[in-house]
Amino acid sequence: MSLSPSTDSRSRRAARHARAALSRASRRAVVAAAVALGATFLMGSNAAAAPAVGQQAPDFVAVDTSGAKHKLSDFAGKFVVLEWTNPGCPFVRKHYGSGNMPATQKAATDKGVVWLAINSTERAATDYLKPDALDAWMKSQKGAPTAVLMDEDGLIGQVYGARTTPHIFIIDPKGTLVYAGGIDSIASARSDDIKTATNYVNQALGEAFGGKPISAATTRPYGCSIKYKT
Amino acid sequence: MIFSRIHFATLLIATAAASMPAAAQSTASLPSKPGAVVTTPHVRAELIAHAPDGVTPGAPVWVGLQITHQPEWHTYWKNAGDSGLPTEMTWTLPAGVSTGEIAWPVPKKIPVGSLANYGYENTVLLPVPLEVSTLYKPPVALGGTPAMDIQLKASWLVCRKECIPEEGTFTLPLPLQGSTALHKAEFDAAAAAQPQPLAKPGAVEVDGHNLKVRLEGLPAAVQGKTLGFFPETPEVIRTAAVSGKDWTQSWQGGTWTATMPLADQRSASPTVMPLVVALPEADRQAGQPVAWRAEAPVTGSWPAGAAPRAEVSPALQAALTANAANAATSPTELPAPSSTTFMAALLGALLGGLLLNLMPCVFPILAIKVLGFARQAGNASAHRKAGLAYTGGVILSFLALGGGMLALRAAGAGLGWGFQLQSPGVVAALAALFTLIGLNLVGVFEFGRAAPSSVCSAQAKHPLANDFLSGVLAVVIASPCSAPFMGASMGFAIGLPAAQALLLFVALGFGLALPYLLAGFVPAVAHLLPKPGPWMHTLRRLLAFPMFATVAWLVWVLGQQSGIDGAGTLLALLVCLAAIVWAFTLRGRTRVVIATVLIGFTAVLTATIGRNVLQVVEPAKLASAQGTAGQRWQPWSAERVAELSGAGQPVFIDFTAAWCVTCQYNKKSTLADTQVLADFDAKKVAMLRADWTRRDPAITAALTALGRSGVPVYVLQAPGKPPVVLTEILGKDEVRAALAAL
Repeated sequence: MSLSPSTDSRSRRAARHARAALSRASRRAVVAAAVALGATFLMGSNAAAAPAVGQQAPDFVAVDTSGAKHKLSDFAGKFVVLEWTNPGCPFVRKHYGSGNMPATQKAATDKGVVWLAINSTERAATDYLKPDALDAWMKSQKGAPTAVLMDEDGLIGQVYGARTTPHIFIIDPKGTLVYAGGIDSIASARSDDIKTATNYVNQALGEAFGGKPISAATTRPYGCSIKYKT
Repeated sequence: MIFSRIHFATLLIATAAASMPAAAQSTASLPSKPGAVVTTPHVRAELIAHAPDGVTPGAPVWVGLQITHQPEWHTYWKNAGDSGLPTEMTWTLPAGVSTGEIAWPVPKKIPVGSLANYGYENTVLLPVPLEVSTLYKPPVALGGTPAMDIQLKASWLVCRKECIPEEGTFTLPLPLQGSTALHKAEFDAAAAAQPQPLAKPGAVEVDGHNLKVRLEGLPAAVQGKTLGFFPETPEVIRTAAVSGKDWTQSWQGGTWTATMPLADQRSASPTVMPLVVALPEADRQAGQPVAWRAEAPVTGSWPAGAAPRAEVSPALQAALTANAANAATSPTELPAPSSTTFMAALLGALLGGLLLNLMPCVFPILAIKVLGFARQAGNASAHRKAGLAYTGGVILSFLALGGGMLALRAAGAGLGWGFQLQSPGVVAALAALFTLIGLNLVGVFEFGRAAPSSVCSAQAKHPLANDFLSGVLAVVIASPCSAPFMGASMGFAIGLPAAQALLLFVALGFGLALPYLLAGFVPAVAHLLPKPGPWMHTLRRLLAFPMFATVAWLVWVLGQQSGIDGAGTLLALLVCLAAIVWAFTLRGRTRVVIATVLIGFTAVLTATIGRNVLQVVEPAKLASAQGTAGQRWQPWSAERVAELSGAGQPVFIDFTAAWCVTCQYNKKSTLADTQVLADFDAKKVAMLRADWTRRDPAITAALTALGRSGVPVYVLQAPGKPPVVLTEILGKDEVRAALAAL
């Protein structure tokens, strides 16, 4: 007895879907395990505290919106900017809609800086975007990060002590955290304030590239609370 | 969309308010009317007033924004906590009228997952006192009761899990005469929720990564209660810290003390901290104060929020300073890091390479090259080619080393100059190589006889290969000698983009090769060299001894790593190697028999005790084996340094390694000098030794923090002062001057 052709193709398709799902799940599990391992390592060394400026930036592995894996330590020798983002947040929209964030990203990446946008919004949040949707949004905003990383489990965000969107961290070529704080100096949701605010990221990178110490190395981040998985 | 809706509503309300005749107002009360209310999907905000005695100079006049939140939504206190923004108010008032500060009622702590905010839920009134001066000229009312028009533009961030920034424009005509007291209850409630000022300012002490708060003069009724703590200064404490778990509080009579953790990424370091403590809501009683406020002076020193960038060597620091001055005139669009700094680093690397020639570990190579030139005296073209080939060998080797360093850096390994000598296997292999070179120089064997004829002919056809390989060899041997300038250059290279880092290595190599290159191209230099003659054989035999001395040193290095068993085994294997090499110089049957026996014996020896060479002895075991190394030097650890610094004791750290010749020289000369040691004792300096002979991530990290990637490094650190990094070749006067400056 043989299966009818239609049943056969359906079962084959089902099997293929199952395999694809399994491979996605296993890839995710591997990455999550790697990230968790990194997080555990860090916590062991520093009693669950987020790194202070001047300390070693914890290493992590994350998958970007196109499924490629990125490891922070692979970027050793370069400045790395971590930008916590969430398109659902009005403060993120302020800086993307006005073109401020894309311009800041472009100025940095033009200098050879690696810019990683990270989304730590949990899957259950109303404004969670799937990788392809987030990628499409970033493209629609003319965003220019090196990669957009998914951190739905919030491990990277929690390890860094990221609190708001946006929240910016800068890591120097030696892997030291040299800046933690806001995108600029005027905490508001008004786009008009951007032109009078000091862009802390441009300032910090400019000083670092000029061989000067970073004058504002920790500032207050402002924006929406990151919706971490609880 | 939300914005436009608000604006539309505001516009509608404003229009309605303007068209409302003032005569309709009651003198006894001020009803809520359009113009004073903005409603959004998340809040209802209303501008209300309380002027029981009318609006006249000196009379109490309060206005305020009352926000009624939808369930689960909240707005923020003056310190919003981990996220959020305080509500902002901008007033437009007639001349002669001004406002005071917002009298923020005590907030509540709103945890959001791993974060926490301070804010308000349900209904809150943010009152603001109005000050009416005698300069205020009341408007002339054309009809009805004269009123003062007040306008407020307010913006607030309202959040549940998501956050919505909202704003509204409010207008309120405030009757000048009579009493505006409709909202008395709300203003009274807001006043009751005001923190009461404490008679004493209290005290805040920064203790490491904790904040110790001490408040006195709290009323007897609250003593023993668990209080809520609200610092008005944001970004100081870890807001999400949970009372009883992450922070503690206790009572001693009427004194309340608490210890709470500082924020990991603290961005404020106030000298005075305004604080609010509040009773838990369950313990609050109507008519009784619920919260207290103090402005506590801060003692102790804030831990460095921004650790100083790597302590670079004076030469590099000077370059950086010069660059900073240049940066003022040139745009910031510079490659990483700026070209001026990079040129300084290149120059430093070149000088470092030159000086490397004078280091004891490179000297045997210098000897070999001198011999080479002497052999080819008179042949200018050959000298030129030899110089170029040697330079090529040196530079390519440096590039390979640099590439290796970059590859390992990419792999996340922390390492530095001389790292290859941290592996016992490499040390043993080098010892074997030098033994062979020594035996060759002494004349036990000739390469021509020991090597297959194809290799011999290759060497004959390509004499340049010899020069190239001697260049390679020079680099291998030079590695343990971290010359001045080089430490800083290498530390600099580790943080550079790959291309620039490699360029630094090229500069180092060029510096090392430069003297030979000059000798090849400037005939005068080559002519200074002695003519070939019988003395060459004598010189060759003589040069064997530096080689054997190097072997002796390498065996000692291995002894540091693998202990006496490892060193002994290595010596035994080197004897075997020498015997095998000799056996190959014999002829006929004897050669086959003796060589076979010796190789067999060596194989057995290697199989039985060979692993002794590669074993790494635990530092503790080694320390006990070394016995009384003296009470003066303590083993280094970052914790020990912190401990000593905390106790106010200056610390001198010797970053050293057994395979570092400069280190050993300094140790035996300056650091053994009785005068210098007396100075150390006089200043009560704790002396710590960080031994990098074996790979140690903690020491590597400490060196990286100092902007160095090799040893020796000498650091003198006094509490409260930046650490002083001394030069690699440690002078007595320099150390004594540094000590005198403590």
